[in-house]
Amino acid sequence: MAFLRRKKRPSFEGRGLVLFMDVQDTMKAERVLKDAGYAVKLIAPPPALRKGCDLSLEINLVEQLGIERLFSEKDVFYVSIAPLGAESSELLGIVSVTDFGEWVMVKAGNMKVAFDKERGVIVNTSGGGCPDIPYLHAELIGKKLAEAPLPSEIGFTLCATMLDRALEECLLLWQGGV
Amino acid sequence: MFLIAGTFPDKDLPLTVGGVRAEGESLVVDSYRLPCIQGTAAMISAALAVTKYLKLDPPQAVIAGDIGQGKGSRQIYEYLIQEVNMLSPEVLALHYWLPDMALMRRLCEAIERCAKRPIMVADAASMYAAKAAGLASRFDIFTPDATEMAFLADPDATHPAYIAKHLFDTDISQTPNLVAAAYQNRSAARLLLVKGVVDYVVRDGEILGTVAEPSVPALEAIGGTGDTITGLVSAFAYAGLELHEAAIITARANRMAGEFARVTPATRVGQIINQFPAVFEEYLCQWSGVCYM
Repeated sequence: MAFLRRKKRPSFEGRGLVLFMDVQDTMKAERVLKDAGYAVKLIAPPPALRKGCDLSLEINLVEQLGIERLFSEKDVFYVSIAPLGAESSELLGIVSVTDFGEWVMVKAGNMKVAFDKERGVIVNTSGGGCPDIPYLHAELIGKKLAEAPLPSEIGFTLCATMLDRALEECLLLWQGGV
Repeated sequence: MFLIAGTFPDKDLPLTVGGVRAEGESLVVDSYRLPCIQGTAAMISAALAVTKYLKLDPPQAVIAGDIGQGKGSRQIYEYLIQEVNMLSPEVLALHYWLPDMALMRRLCEAIERCAKRPIMVADAASMYAAKAAGLASRFDIFTPDATEMAFLADPDATHPAYIAKHLFDTDISQTPNLVAAAYQNRSAARLLLVKGVVDYVVRDGEILGTVAEPSVPALEAIGGTGDTITGLVSAFAYAGLELHEAAIITARANRMAGEFARVTPATRVGQIINQFPAVFEEYLCQWSGVCYM
């Protein structure tokens, strides 16, 4: 009977896992994220990742940065965010530096920032593929390293997180007198 | 039809569908004038340089504003899912958007229902979503850089920020191993154009060629130089070149445009795009063997 059929819920594959200490925090997080327009799903965490309660949230892992910022703004307490079902649960921490003479390029994961050694001004950003990256590119270029907006504050995705790491390293190099 | 889909970094830009044209330093899609910067804009501009030079129809674009929150991305996915059958593009190139595995799955299902399957190209987060959803082998061309190649080689990774350290911590000479791993995991498109110090062109796991000249190291620092590669290879595929030929010519043309522009890490991608007509004029006949212009 058609009128008794449940409406099919939209499918969701986020591959990101948020762990909480208790169910109340989980429920609050779900409400906060849904109110902000994020797609989420309540799931049981894998046994190896159980740290407190047996309820966690699946999120779109790519949206980790924006979600972490929202949790901070809304006082949502959580234990950790990690890839669901992956062996590697830590963000890539490898940073490399290339000297181009007048300029230095810092690469963190898939993201790169280049700056002018003499003036400490960002001259380019490259890499990545999430939709906040062209926005951050436009926001950062031409700004002094110490005055540039932080990708962690105005970006939303994992690409922005890696760009933030590259920018942080640029600032350290600049302050150290590259 | 040559159809390109991707987001623009303007949160007020609505879902827009239409032909593209260049006006001065800007790109015009339907009635919207957009700056030619890193991302979908650079990709479309490079594609437009090819279609204009070869006197082909310009690309059609499906774009929407998105600065990372995903709304514009979802509008593009939904539009394509609903309309791709009717649009019936010969080449469909997917670019910047928020990776969404479920929507990418629905889009691939919609494409399977097309009377004629388009040549499918993905770069940026479209490539991330295709790989993460296990749909990479449905695509004809991916254009990863060295880091993204490690991402494709990692069977568990859903984003390049979470790849296994031992895969990332390799030099360009390890690219063949990463390529082999990616094909073994079914995480690669039929053809890969791997961008790096040496560009690799790979078909079904076999390395068909490499391009290392001219060597222009500063290109790596310039935002949008990977996007131009995706635009060029998509357009050359639309022009009817074999995909591996399109990839090799693309790698050469991008490097040569960098050399023509005398790039530094401070160069803007628009300065490189401006060089494409001169590069085509001087080299395309020689590289492609097609000299009817």
